[in-house]
Amino acid sequence: MSFLVVYILEAHPSDVWQMESNIKDKVVFASPKNEEERALVAGACVSKLGVKIPAVLDGFDNTVEKAYTGWPDRLYLIDREGKVAYKSKPGPFGFHPDDLKTAIEKTVTAGKLAENRPHYLEVRKIITTN
Amino acid sequence: MPAWHKKRRWKPILLKTAAVLFVLWLGFVGVVWWSMNQQPEKFATVMSYMPGPVVFLMAPFETMWMRARAGSLQPGDHAPDFNLATLDKTSHVALSSLSSKGPVVLVFGSYT
Repeated sequence: MSFLVVYILEAHPSDVWQMESNIKDKVVFASPKNEEERALVAGACVSKLGVKIPAVLDGFDNTVEKAYTGWPDRLYLIDREGKVAYKSKPGPFGFHPDDLKTAIEKTVTAGKLAENRPHYLEVRKIITTN
Repeated sequence: MPAWHKKRRWKPILLKTAAVLFVLWLGFVGVVWWSMNQQPEKFATVMSYMPGPVVFLMAPFETMWMRARAGSLQPGDHAPDFNLATLDKTSHVALSSLSSKGPVVLVFGSYT
Protein backbone atom coordinates (compact mmCIF):
# COMPACT_ATOMS: atom_id res chain seq x y z
CA MET A 1 0.00 0.00 0.00
CA SER A 2 1.47 3.35 -0.95
CA PHE A 3 0.37 6.96 -0.73
CA LEU A 4 1.23 9.71 -3.16
CA VAL A 5 0.43 13.42 -3.15
CA VAL A 6 -0.02 14.86 -6.63
CA TYR A 7 0.61 18.58 -6.27
CA ILE A 8 -1.56 20.37 -8.82
CA LEU A 9 -2.40 23.96 -9.77
CA GLU A 10 -3.34 26.27 -6.91
CA ALA A 11 -6.97 26.44 -5.79
CA HIS A 12 -6.97 29.96 -4.35
CA PRO A 13 -3.93 31.96 -5.37
CA SER A 14 -3.86 35.50 -4.01
CA ASP A 15 -4.13 37.12 -7.46
CA VAL A 16 -7.22 35.21 -8.55
CA TRP A 17 -9.77 33.91 -6.06
CA GLN A 18 -8.36 34.72 -2.66
CA MET A 19 -9.94 33.12 0.42
CA GLU A 20 -10.27 34.91 3.76
CA SER A 21 -9.34 31.67 5.53
CA ASN A 22 -6.06 31.55 3.60
CA ILE A 23 -5.21 35.12 4.62
CA LYS A 24 -5.91 34.17 8.24
CA ASP A 25 -3.67 31.11 7.93
CA LYS A 26 -1.02 33.16 6.10
CA VAL A 27 -1.23 30.88 3.07
CA VAL A 28 -0.87 33.69 0.56
CA PHE A 29 0.74 32.79 -2.75
CA ALA A 30 0.25 34.33 -6.18
CA SER A 31 -0.32 32.01 -9.15
CA PRO A 32 2.95 30.29 -10.01
CA LYS A 33 4.16 31.48 -13.43
CA ASN A 34 6.06 28.32 -14.28
CA GLU A 35 6.86 24.86 -13.04
CA GLU A 36 9.75 26.08 -10.87
CA GLU A 37 7.45 28.50 -9.05
CA ARG A 38 4.87 25.76 -8.58
CA ALA A 39 7.59 23.56 -7.10
CA LEU A 40 8.48 26.36 -4.64
CA VAL A 41 4.90 26.68 -3.36
CA ALA A 42 4.62 22.88 -3.23
CA GLY A 43 7.83 22.74 -1.19
CA ALA A 44 6.49 25.37 1.23
CA CYS A 45 3.26 23.37 1.55
CA VAL A 46 5.01 20.11 2.33
CA SER A 47 7.41 21.63 4.84
CA LYS A 48 4.90 23.93 6.62
CA LEU A 49 2.20 21.28 6.90
CA GLY A 50 4.70 18.55 7.69
CA VAL A 51 3.44 16.31 4.89
CA LYS A 52 5.20 12.97 5.25
CA ILE A 53 3.59 11.31 2.22
CA PRO A 54 5.83 11.35 -0.89
CA ALA A 55 4.77 14.13 -3.27
CA VAL A 56 5.11 14.59 -7.01
CA LEU A 57 4.55 17.73 -9.04
CA ASP A 58 2.06 17.82 -11.90
CA GLY A 59 3.51 19.42 -15.03
CA PHE A 60 2.64 23.02 -15.80
CA ASP A 61 0.33 21.77 -18.58
CA ASN A 62 -1.74 20.08 -15.82
CA THR A 63 -1.90 16.80 -17.76
CA VAL A 64 -2.46 14.58 -14.74
CA GLU A 65 -4.94 16.97 -13.12
CA LYS A 66 -6.98 16.95 -16.36
CA ALA A 67 -6.88 13.15 -16.68
CA TYR A 68 -8.12 12.72 -13.11
CA THR A 69 -10.22 15.92 -12.75
CA GLY A 70 -8.21 16.47 -9.58
CA TRP A 71 -8.72 20.23 -9.02
CA PRO A 72 -9.12 21.66 -6.43
CA ASP A 73 -8.64 18.46 -4.42
CA ARG A 74 -9.66 14.85 -4.79
CA LEU A 75 -8.90 11.37 -3.48
CA TYR A 76 -8.37 8.18 -5.47
CA LEU A 77 -7.57 4.60 -4.67
CA ILE A 78 -5.90 2.58 -7.41
CA ASP A 79 -5.86 -1.19 -6.97
CA ARG A 80 -2.94 -3.51 -7.69
CA GLU A 81 -4.27 -4.11 -11.22
CA GLY A 82 -3.97 -0.40 -11.94
CA LYS A 83 -7.72 0.17 -11.92
CA VAL A 84 -9.68 2.89 -10.14
CA ALA A 85 -11.08 1.31 -6.97
CA TYR A 86 -12.36 4.54 -5.43
CA LYS A 87 -12.82 8.05 -6.74
CA SER A 88 -14.02 10.73 -4.38
CA LYS A 89 -16.39 13.44 -5.51
CA PRO A 90 -14.69 16.74 -6.36
CA GLY A 91 -13.36 18.74 -3.43
CA PRO A 92 -13.90 20.60 -1.31
CA PHE A 93 -17.45 19.21 -0.87
CA GLY A 94 -16.56 15.68 -1.93
CA PHE A 95 -13.25 15.31 -0.11
CA HIS A 96 -14.08 12.63 2.50
CA PRO A 97 -11.12 10.66 3.90
CA ASP A 98 -13.56 8.40 5.80
CA ASP A 99 -14.98 7.11 2.51
CA LEU A 100 -11.44 6.48 1.31
CA LYS A 101 -10.75 4.52 4.49
CA THR A 102 -13.76 2.27 3.80
CA ALA A 103 -12.58 1.76 0.20
CA ILE A 104 -9.05 0.88 1.40
CA GLU A 105 -10.42 -1.69 3.83
CA LYS A 106 -12.50 -3.27 1.04
CA THR A 107 -9.60 -3.34 -1.43
CA VAL A 108 -7.13 -4.72 1.06
CA THR A 109 -9.59 -7.42 2.18
CA ALA A 110 -10.31 -8.33 -1.46
CA GLY A 111 -6.56 -8.45 -2.13
CA LYS A 112 -5.97 -10.72 0.84
CA LEU A 113 -8.82 -13.02 -0.23
CA ALA A 114 -7.34 -13.20 -3.74
CA GLU A 115 -3.89 -13.88 -2.31
CA ASN A 116 -5.23 -16.61 -0.04
CA ARG A 117 -7.50 -18.18 -2.67
CA PRO A 118 -4.85 -20.66 -4.00
CA HIS A 119 -4.25 -21.86 -0.43
CA TYR A 120 -7.97 -22.15 0.16
CA LEU A 121 -8.42 -24.17 -3.05
CA GLU A 122 -5.52 -26.39 -2.06
CA VAL A 123 -7.03 -27.03 1.36
CA ARG A 124 -10.44 -27.77 -0.16
CA LYS A 125 -8.86 -30.20 -2.62
CA ILE A 126 -7.17 -32.04 0.22
CA ILE A 127 -10.41 -32.16 2.22
CA THR A 128 -12.55 -33.39 -0.70
CA THR A 129 -10.07 -36.00 -1.89
CA ASN A 130 -9.84 -37.48 1.57
CA MET B 1 -61.38 61.51 -13.08
CA PRO B 2 -57.63 62.34 -12.78
CA ALA B 3 -55.16 59.68 -13.85
CA TRP B 4 -53.69 59.26 -10.35
CA HIS B 5 -57.08 58.19 -9.08
CA LYS B 6 -57.09 55.18 -11.34
CA LYS B 7 -56.74 51.95 -9.44
CA ARG B 8 -53.21 50.65 -9.94
CA ARG B 9 -53.01 47.16 -11.27
CA TRP B 10 -50.36 45.62 -9.08
CA LYS B 11 -50.71 42.04 -10.22
CA PRO B 12 -49.28 42.47 -13.74
CA ILE B 13 -46.44 44.64 -12.38
CA LEU B 14 -45.53 42.01 -9.81
CA LEU B 15 -45.73 39.24 -12.39
CA LYS B 16 -43.50 41.16 -14.79
CA THR B 17 -40.97 41.88 -12.04
CA ALA B 18 -40.94 38.23 -11.02
CA ALA B 19 -40.45 37.15 -14.63
CA VAL B 20 -37.57 39.59 -15.13
CA LEU B 21 -35.91 38.48 -11.86
CA PHE B 22 -36.32 34.83 -12.85
CA VAL B 23 -34.71 35.39 -16.24
CA LEU B 24 -31.83 37.27 -14.56
CA TRP B 25 -31.40 34.40 -12.07
CA LEU B 26 -31.41 31.84 -14.88
CA GLY B 27 -28.72 33.85 -16.67
CA PHE B 28 -26.68 34.04 -13.47
CA VAL B 29 -26.94 30.29 -12.85
CA GLY B 30 -26.07 29.72 -16.52
CA VAL B 31 -22.89 31.77 -16.21
CA VAL B 32 -21.87 29.89 -13.05
CA TRP B 33 -22.53 26.52 -14.73
CA TRP B 34 -20.61 27.54 -17.83
CA SER B 35 -17.64 28.70 -15.77
CA MET B 36 -17.61 25.46 -13.75
CA ASN B 37 -17.16 23.59 -17.03
CA GLN B 38 -14.14 25.67 -18.08
CA GLN B 39 -10.53 25.10 -17.07
CA PRO B 40 -10.01 25.72 -13.33
CA GLU B 41 -8.13 29.00 -13.90
CA LYS B 42 -11.04 30.46 -15.85
CA PHE B 43 -13.62 29.29 -13.30
CA ALA B 44 -11.57 30.81 -10.48
CA THR B 45 -11.33 34.10 -12.39
CA VAL B 46 -15.11 34.24 -12.84
CA MET B 47 -15.61 33.40 -9.16
CA SER B 48 -13.21 36.14 -8.09
CA TYR B 49 -15.69 38.69 -9.50
CA MET B 50 -18.60 37.30 -7.49
CA PRO B 51 -19.32 39.35 -4.38
CA GLY B 52 -18.79 37.27 -1.24
CA PRO B 53 -21.12 34.33 -0.61
CA VAL B 54 -23.73 35.52 -3.18
CA VAL B 55 -23.05 32.65 -5.54
CA PHE B 56 -23.39 30.06 -2.79
CA LEU B 57 -26.71 31.52 -1.65
CA MET B 58 -28.24 32.20 -5.04
CA ALA B 59 -27.33 29.04 -6.95
CA PRO B 60 -27.40 25.34 -6.05
CA PHE B 61 -23.62 25.60 -6.10
CA GLU B 62 -22.66 22.28 -4.55
CA THR B 63 -24.98 20.19 -6.75
CA MET B 64 -23.76 21.99 -9.86
CA TRP B 65 -20.13 21.59 -8.81
CA MET B 66 -20.45 17.84 -8.23
CA ARG B 67 -21.86 17.42 -11.74
CA ALA B 68 -19.54 19.83 -13.53
CA ARG B 69 -16.42 18.30 -11.98
CA ALA B 70 -17.58 14.66 -12.07
CA GLY B 71 -14.94 13.80 -14.67
CA SER B 72 -14.98 10.89 -17.10
CA LEU B 73 -12.89 8.42 -15.09
CA GLN B 74 -15.07 5.79 -13.41
CA PRO B 75 -14.37 3.15 -10.76
CA GLY B 76 -13.19 0.03 -12.59
CA ASP B 77 -11.53 2.07 -15.35
CA HIS B 78 -7.84 1.72 -15.98
CA ALA B 79 -6.12 4.56 -14.09
CA PRO B 80 -4.15 6.72 -16.56
CA ASP B 81 -0.48 6.14 -15.91
CA PHE B 82 1.87 9.05 -15.23
CA ASN B 83 5.49 9.56 -14.50
CA LEU B 84 6.06 12.73 -12.48
CA ALA B 85 9.08 14.27 -10.78
CA THR B 86 9.23 14.38 -7.01
CA LEU B 87 9.18 17.88 -5.49
CA ASP B 88 12.95 17.94 -5.02
CA LYS B 89 13.37 16.77 -8.64
CA THR B 90 15.79 14.07 -7.60
CA SER B 91 13.64 11.24 -8.97
CA HIS B 92 10.49 10.32 -10.85
CA VAL B 93 7.54 8.26 -9.67
CA ALA B 94 5.43 6.21 -12.11
CA LEU B 95 1.96 5.23 -10.95
CA SER B 96 2.22 1.83 -12.69
CA SER B 97 5.39 0.92 -10.80
CA LEU B 98 3.69 1.76 -7.47
CA SER B 99 0.41 -0.01 -8.25
CA SER B 100 2.20 -3.18 -9.37
CA LYS B 101 3.40 -3.50 -5.76
CA GLY B 102 -0.02 -2.89 -4.18
CA PRO B 103 -2.92 -0.43 -3.91
CA VAL B 104 -2.07 3.26 -4.23
CA VAL B 105 -3.83 6.25 -2.68
CA LEU B 106 -3.59 9.43 -4.75
CA VAL B 107 -4.17 12.75 -2.99
CA PHE B 108 -4.67 15.63 -5.40
CA GLY B 109 -4.38 19.12 -4.02
CA SER B 110 -2.46 22.35 -3.54
CA TYR B 111 -1.41 24.59 -0.66
CA THR B 112 -3.96 27.34 -1.26
